[in-house]
Amino acid sequence: MNKLIRLLSVQLWAVLGDMLSLGKSNSNKKKPAVLYAGILFFTVVLSVVSFIYSFMIGAGLKMFNSLDILPALMMAVACAVILMTTIFKVKGTIFGFRDYDMVMSLPVSTGTIVACRLIILYSFNFLFVIILTVPMMIAYGILANPNPVFYFICLLVMFFIPLVPIIIASVLGTVIAYAASKFRHNNLLNIILSLGLLAVVVGLSFTVNGNGKQFVDIGKAITSQVSSIYPLAQMYTEAVVHYDIVALLLFISISIAAFLLYTLVVEAIFKKMNTLMLTGRAGVKFKMKELKTSSPIAALYVKELKRYFSSSLYVLNTGLGIVMLTVAAIAAIFVDLDKVLGDPMVTYMFKNNIPLVITFCVIMTYTAASSISLEGKNLWIIKSMPIPAKTVYLSKLAVNLTILAPAVIDTVIIGAAMRMGVIKTMILVLVTITCSLFTALFGLLMNILLPNFNWTTEVVIIKQSAASMISIFGAMAYVGVQFAFLYLIPGFLWANLGYFLLTLVIDIVLYMLIMTYGKKRYLAF
Amino acid sequence: MLVIKNFSKSYKSNKKAVDNLNLEVKSGDIFGFIGHNGAGKTTTIRSVVGVLDFEEGEITIDGISIKKDPVACKQRMAYIPDNPDLYEHLSGIAYLNFIGDIYQVNKNDRRTLIEKYADAFELTPNLGDTISSYSHGMKQKLAIISALIHKPKLLVLDEPFVGLDPKAAHTLKTLMVELCKNGSAIFFSTHVLEVAEKLCNKIAIIKGGKLVSCGTTEEVKGNSSLEDVFMELIEEQ
Repeated sequence: MNKLIRLLSVQLWAVLGDMLSLGKSNSNKKKPAVLYAGILFFTVVLSVVSFIYSFMIGAGLKMFNSLDILPALMMAVACAVILMTTIFKVKGTIFGFRDYDMVMSLPVSTGTIVACRLIILYSFNFLFVIILTVPMMIAYGILANPNPVFYFICLLVMFFIPLVPIIIASVLGTVIAYAASKFRHNNLLNIILSLGLLAVVVGLSFTVNGNGKQFVDIGKAITSQVSSIYPLAQMYTEAVVHYDIVALLLFISISIAAFLLYTLVVEAIFKKMNTLMLTGRAGVKFKMKELKTSSPIAALYVKELKRYFSSSLYVLNTGLGIVMLTVAAIAAIFVDLDKVLGDPMVTYMFKNNIPLVITFCVIMTYTAASSISLEGKNLWIIKSMPIPAKTVYLSKLAVNLTILAPAVIDTVIIGAAMRMGVIKTMILVLVTITCSLFTALFGLLMNILLPNFNWTTEVVIIKQSAASMISIFGAMAYVGVQFAFLYLIPGFLWANLGYFLLTLVIDIVLYMLIMTYGKKRYLAF
Repeated sequence: MLVIKNFSKSYKSNKKAVDNLNLEVKSGDIFGFIGHNGAGKTTTIRSVVGVLDFEEGEITIDGISIKKDPVACKQRMAYIPDNPDLYEHLSGIAYLNFIGDIYQVNKNDRRTLIEKYADAFELTPNLGDTISSYSHGMKQKLAIISALIHKPKLLVLDEPFVGLDPKAAHTLKTLMVELCKNGSAIFFSTHVLEVAEKLCNKIAIIKGGKLVSCGTTEEVKGNSSLEDVFMELIEEQ
């Protein structure tokens, strides 16, 4: 137990240090305080947003005497978030983490190391549960005025919610990683399999209660579907809403038993899976062929692009937005919105909010936000090369914009499928282009301000670093600005034109900042 | 070729890692830079190649200031760090081609030099494999090849012999001599004093960030061995 606690404290701090850009521990003592404050601020903001959502949904459900599905609904959301984020975390957190060699050479049992990695995984997922469950608890408390036992049971059960979704996601992620490891281009296969799984999940979500008549029906349909796939959801509802002690004890004991069993399985395959993931493949004897030459900027761009696709973690965590948008664009061709939504007023409101959906998907594709930090121990290569900082930055921006390029086509498809007309579609395309530029430029600037080159696992840079988190949450806040434009400025065209012009100005300012301040920062990297 | 004038570097703790260093490396020199661990060798080398920023002093390569025109300086140089972390996702040949593109090495020269140096280091059969599958020594060899294919005027190496097998170490020494005969200069740090003594025509010894001895190898070692001189200088208060 002592060894577990000791190992956990070191590894958890290493992961947190990577997240908070504490790579250069002596460089700036003020930095941790500012970053802690920043992380706390965003946690609070997310919790407030979660509360507003829970309250609004709860208020709606209460009108139809269906408030009791609120806890199960938010629990389903929490499980879905854990599922989707953990699948892509398996490689880098449980298997294939960078300090594997060092940790495995220590006089610590494999079981202890496995427990340590799983606790780290649990800790970060538990944060999602808190952000979703506590606000729901408060909202339900205000709306239903339940027995105080509700709060006690809710808080108790909260600790066990992540366990089974982590198991499911880890198994899926491990199967994908194992299948991919058998092939030469294993990262590419990992990416394709994972994206395929995501596309299936997103596509299936369009089949949830196709009649779309009542919000309550959608909520009941989701919870009913989740309960049929995930029986623990029903136990959760019985325990939390109806104070069923048997259901509570079953939920807790099944979660713990499953997790313990899972831990034993992971321990059994730990070495084999890590050997597979960390060992490179040596191929056939090389024979020199014709060499292709290109310019320095093209060479850097190709290197960056290859770097992006060499990491399934990088692709799956920063490419989800464009995948979702492309799936939505394809769905828009086949799904008749008028039929699905039923109400012409609802259809009109939905179409008016399409720019928000597109922008949200675009900002989720933020490859530039971790591109500088990911140079890591390779930083000496570009810094010792005869290339100016501008060229380096442009190559990273170019990759982000390349990944986002299909967003323009998706926007045209969505505009055409929804019969928005040429002018509206063109305005939408302009918004998509400027938002794509914003995503790339803002992300890169954040990484210039908050680089971290001393990391051990990519996952903390790509998903959890200060630069990535500020990029994504800052961009989300900017989507809020678009929301304001859509609702304060009358007329779809004027609202979106105004937003396009504002974003264009911001893009120009960001570019100038990168090319002036960013150049100076480059020398200090 | 390389002139370091009044160079000092402090880190945030205000401790000077290098204090008022002055030295000159001329074309044709194989200049050995030796010192104990933490003496300031890597700090000096990283500042020379433009990887580390500095405030005090001046470093020029071929008369060009590394601060004022870093790109022009880097075009003339090649750098190999003590532990070359390379792009693991690229194959060996892809990495060499990438370097060739950055330094604008023409196609014919590129192919000729890659074949020459890859054969010399017996790395040719592995060039198609990803760097992630390379051992430390293979990465070291690849880094050396990448430094040589663009014919640098100044080759800067930080402990280049670490991790190389005896044959590769011998090949590197031969290539270093050949490079200098063709007018280039080499500035490298090493802990292997026998190599420095045999290979270098000039030596500088750094201790606690300060230069304690600098000159031709004969001037520095006198009638003793370089090891004896080094131990004596390092142990002095």
